Amino acid sequence: MQETMVYNEKISSVIDNINKVMIGKEDVAILSLVALLAEGHVLLEDVPGVGKTMLVRTLAKSLDCDFKRIQFTPDLLPSDVTGVSIYNPKEMEFEFRGGPIFGNIVLADEINRTSPKTQSALLEGMEEKSVTVDGDTIPLQKPFFVMATQNPIEYEGTYPLPEAQLDRFILKLTMGYPSLADELEMLERTSKEHPIESLSSVMTKEELVLIQKEVRNVYIEKNVQQYIVNLVRETRNHESIFLGVSPRGSIALMKAAKAFAYIKGRDFVLPDDVKYLAPFVLTHRIILTSEAKYDGKTAKQIVEQVVKQTFVPIRKEF
Amino acid sequence: MSRKSKTNITFIYTSILYIAGLLLFLEWLYPVDQVTDTTYIGIFVIYTIFCFFISVLQVKWWLSLILKGFGVFFILNGLYSSYSFWSIHWFTELLADFSFNLQALLDRQWFDLSNMFRTLLFLIIIWLMSYLIYYWFVQIKRVMIFSVLTFIYITLLDTFTVYNSDWAIFRTFIIAFLALGIANVLKEIQNESLQAYRLSTRPLWIVPLVGIVLFSTVVGYAAPKLDPQWPDPVPFFESAVNGNGIGTGGVIQKVGYGENDSTLGGSFVQDYTPVFKAFMKEENYFRVESKDYYTGKGWVNSEESEYVEQVDANITYETFSKVVESETSELMLTFDDRANIPKLIYPYGTRRVVPPSEDVSLMLNETNGEIRTEVDHDAANLSGYKIYYDSPSYSIDMMQKSSTPEDEELVRNYTRLPSSLPERVGELAQEITAVHESQYDKVRAIERYFSGNGYVYQIENVPVPTEDQDYVDQFLFDTKAGYCDNFSTSMVVMLRSLDIPARWVKGFTSGEKIDESVNEDGDDVYQVTNANAHSWVEVYFEGVGWIPFEPTQGFDAPNNYAIDTQEEDDVLEAPEAPEMPEQEFERPEKDVEEAFNPSVGENNGKFQITMTHGIILAVIFLGLIGLLIWKRHQLRIYFLERRMRKRRDAATYQDAYHYILKVLKNKGFEKDPDQTLREYANRIDNWYGSNEMGRLTANYERLIYQNGVTNIVDEEMSNLWKNLIKRILG
Repeated sequence: MQETMVYNEKISSVIDNINKVMIGKEDVAILSLVALLAEGHVLLEDVPGVGKTMLVRTLAKSLDCDFKRIQFTPDLLPSDVTGVSIYNPKEMEFEFRGGPIFGNIVLADEINRTSPKTQSALLEGMEEKSVTVDGDTIPLQKPFFVMATQNPIEYEGTYPLPEAQLDRFILKLTMGYPSLADELEMLERTSKEHPIESLSSVMTKEELVLIQKEVRNVYIEKNVQQYIVNLVRETRNHESIFLGVSPRGSIALMKAAKAFAYIKGRDFVLPDDVKYLAPFVLTHRIILTSEAKYDGKTAKQIVEQVVKQTFVPIRKEF
Repeated sequence: MSRKSKTNITFIYTSILYIAGLLLFLEWLYPVDQVTDTTYIGIFVIYTIFCFFISVLQVKWWLSLILKGFGVFFILNGLYSSYSFWSIHWFTELLADFSFNLQALLDRQWFDLSNMFRTLLFLIIIWLMSYLIYYWFVQIKRVMIFSVLTFIYITLLDTFTVYNSDWAIFRTFIIAFLALGIANVLKEIQNESLQAYRLSTRPLWIVPLVGIVLFSTVVGYAAPKLDPQWPDPVPFFESAVNGNGIGTGGVIQKVGYGENDSTLGGSFVQDYTPVFKAFMKEENYFRVESKDYYTGKGWVNSEESEYVEQVDANITYETFSKVVESETSELMLTFDDRANIPKLIYPYGTRRVVPPSEDVSLMLNETNGEIRTEVDHDAANLSGYKIYYDSPSYSIDMMQKSSTPEDEELVRNYTRLPSSLPERVGELAQEITAVHESQYDKVRAIERYFSGNGYVYQIENVPVPTEDQDYVDQFLFDTKAGYCDNFSTSMVVMLRSLDIPARWVKGFTSGEKIDESVNEDGDDVYQVTNANAHSWVEVYFEGVGWIPFEPTQGFDAPNNYAIDTQEEDDVLEAPEAPEMPEQEFERPEKDVEEAFNPSVGENNGKFQITMTHGIILAVIFLGLIGLLIWKRHQLRIYFLERRMRKRRDAATYQDAYHYILKVLKNKGFEKDPDQTLREYANRIDNWYGSNEMGRLTANYERLIYQNGVTNIVDEEMSNLWKNLIKRILG
């Protein structure tokens, strides 16, 4: 157990760091870390001003990583994201200048406010871990973690992300408003100096890469894998779901579960991990039937139903 | 569905359940009238209904106490007092009666208790039962125990008393099963696995229940039933209690020594009522009398003989001649009070009897050896006597060489057969003895014949021959199953068909040895009961006398045969008969008794299942099953824990863990399928206020979800497991 969990202690200091800035958002912080450790990306969906950007900044600062931010606007071009080749008169050739996507932690703010063309430039980079400019494929940084935020799609002036691209995000999170006590505490803390200013990094890039490697080695037993597959298959058969979760969803759920187990200090996955993560991993991967939508059902409710219908494995064949 | 209507519905059903409890309890009261001297059973029934009614109303406990108590005293007043209920005299009378009875209780003078006090106690029992049944039927909804008890109660009463429970069984069956069904549904509702509203929207659920109960009742009532597989045990118990020892008559008879042998056959039941104790050194067959005339149905005496008084109790009757070697011996018989045989019971070779008093005269019938015991010319049962006898040792050589009898009258008298005897009996006798020359060999061949050839010893299902059937023929060719009378009569008849003089003898075997070396002579004590009544064969050998032979399967005549020539070995080994396996079941009385006292007697370990055994075994068996069911958790825990400590492997731990889940489920804490173990353990630990389930679960999680974890059962875990399960069951 010990050899696979060398850097586990670092995780808790990262969480402590985030807790200094973000009040009452430990669960979101942990889930973001899950995505980071599982080498995935996070989609944060919420109204403006609840701390989405602050969360990403805190995370970036705690990790001593190269932090880039892209503010998506309707007039943003794909090259504004990936970078452009500029003629260098000295060298007499074109030289590539990387865009904001060449960072370790990239905050893609209000991703649904830009055109699909620009969105897809980012999404392609997220999937391929490289960008193609002028026919050259240029690999992105390692680690590479995108935290995209979006306003709820009902808001005006948004381009909803296509379903096929949504499942590039391993988790979809919401922040929600803080509680009364938390909000008061927040005012108290920020009245003089914002706590983020005094934050120092607690983990290096290299350590993060090593941790990601350790996460891949977290053990998942056959019966838990079976549980994941059962959950996913259940979404494909559910009467309220028009399009179920793809196999990419199963893989994402497993990776997330491993990362979550790691953060919890275990080198093996429990069904509890899977069950806890299922709503965050599956909700944005299903499309409800029109009838279900008209009935006012939400994807979240349906995923909860799916989880309720799936048996948890409590035996192992010896 | 609103909560109110839900409680309404369950109230209706619990009321039905409670009424079922009342009806079952009333089944306990009805027989009281018949089997005890209680009168006015109606009053008790009314009081029962009254108590149940108050319980179902769920009034405050003090009100219920006042009402039920008032009922008790009202009844006592009505039954036992001439004063009015409110009179002060009645009150003083009551007090006086109480103080008297309390004194009697303290002195343990149970029979002094007054009727009024006993009625009071009985009413209080009814009162308690109304509480108990409310608790069983309404609160915990466990109907089974009381139903089963009711069945047992009714059937026992039916078996052992005059009470006829045919309809009671009928009623109990219907009520008990309906109650069981309803109780189960209510339990399901309680566990919330069934929604209560279904009961009201679909009261149809009760239709299949009622249907099935009624259907099985009708089928049970109409279907043909087996006759009782066991004879009625009552005669045995009754005889044990009342000492009414000897009985004959009817197709089912009790075994015992009887007078009338003219109609043999029919089943009988064993009767272990003691007849006498014999103090002697060796086993003996006790002779009482012989009979000489076979009628085709049984035995009678061909002529009325004179009885000759035996002077000084010296017995003049001789069955064997002086040439037979004998050894002087003595024995003593003491009779049970219940024995009613006013005849001398004597071993072969009896010379002199020492009766208990001088007044006793012994009257010998010289033809059949019957010796009546009389006092003042009236038949009298003696309390006991001592017998001096010459224990014979018959020489086989002498019998082999014995010539054809010369006394023609003797031959004529003892070879008589009824003309109605089918010829095949004689043909069979010829066939059996065809290869044998001497009379002795022929006799032994026939004696041996029954130990095989499909003949079985049994006392049940033995028919009485019909009008045109011969008793021997029926046994030899049709039934091939019977007891001593069948075997002995058949042997006598077959011998007679070969013109060998033979007669049929009645008496007792030596019974069961119950004690050893009880007196200075070193005598053993044998208990002889009615079940040891027996019949066998005597064959006349010229110059030797009447020699006893034993054809009945499983019996060995305790005769001494003196072996004095080599060539007879073959014949002597006769009883080794290859068909012996059958004897497993055919060992008669002797072995039955050994089963009760296995240390006594031969160590052949053979065993016959009789009624009494059956009952005892069934009771033990049911008891064991009950014990197993009752203790099943403890047993399971014991074995699982042992396995855990011993094997410490993953599979065992998994079994043990899942056993906890099962036990918890039975306690109403079922794990939802979508619940993870951790969530479930939290719930359990919250309930019990401990962390044991959590610790066990964490351990189990590692086992089934972590890689390569197999050896996780240590002392701590098995203790934890045991504690938790005890906590749950406790």
